[in-house]
Amino acid sequence: MFQNLAVFDTAYAMATHAGKKQALIAQNVANADTPGYVARDLPSFQDLYASRDGGGHMPRATRSGHLHGVADGSVASMVQKDRSFASPDGNTVSLETEMLRGTDAKRQHERALAIYGSALSVLRTSLGRQ
Amino acid sequence: MSEFAKSLTVSASGLQAQSARLRHLSENISNADTPGYQRKTIAFETAFSAARGVSPVEVGRVSLDDRELELIHDPSHPLADESGHYRGSNVNLLIELADAREAQRSYEANLKMFEQARQMSSSLMQLLRR
Repeated sequence: MFQNLAVFDTAYAMATHAGKKQALIAQNVANADTPGYVARDLPSFQDLYASRDGGGHMPRATRSGHLHGVADGSVASMVQKDRSFASPDGNTVSLETEMLRGTDAKRQHERALAIYGSALSVLRTSLGRQ
Repeated sequence: MSEFAKSLTVSASGLQAQSARLRHLSENISNADTPGYQRKTIAFETAFSAARGVSPVEVGRVSLDDRELELIHDPSHPLADESGHYRGSNVNLLIELADAREAQRSYEANLKMFEQARQMSSSLMQLLRR
């Protein structure tokens, strides 16, 4: 039962996903003035989590190969569909949307860390330590 | 390379690119009254590095704007020809200022993403510290 606690796995995957998403958003923002650059995105953690057992075509962020930078190129980012912000030089990045998504990623990361910390304190309490 | 390091690298490349752009803009503005000066323009490029798994932004070659130089009528000017005209620069201050404002906006966006990645990694470290 205590060999592999699902709550830690999930919190870990969520934090990793948030980190990857944040890196991708930083890339979009850095390339906000590059002609022809198309904004990229990751599928949401909820979608990935829902498809983890169904064997869907969604790339997963919960495998060991998706650890922080262990397997580069495993980032299954996709091109953002929304082209409404495309500028005449072919760049589709909208700084406002990226800011919004950045905050989203940060909140997801904080949420995951809070879950991790809380589960850890439950575990500590059960061991009789504070 | 962890996701946060990637994120910081990309944001830093964006900051560098925007400040290079701002430097060329200020060169243009300060040479707005230099006779025969052609305004400089730079293009941003996405430099994908598979080894690092990131796509930082890079400043491309500096090119000269070959628009017609402004014809200024001033018979007392040392460079004036028989008709009393000489060639000024082709810098349009309005364009340069608008471009500078855009560069500043992008710079701030990159700075925000940098700060966000830093906060996320420090909250991760906070988890270890407890």
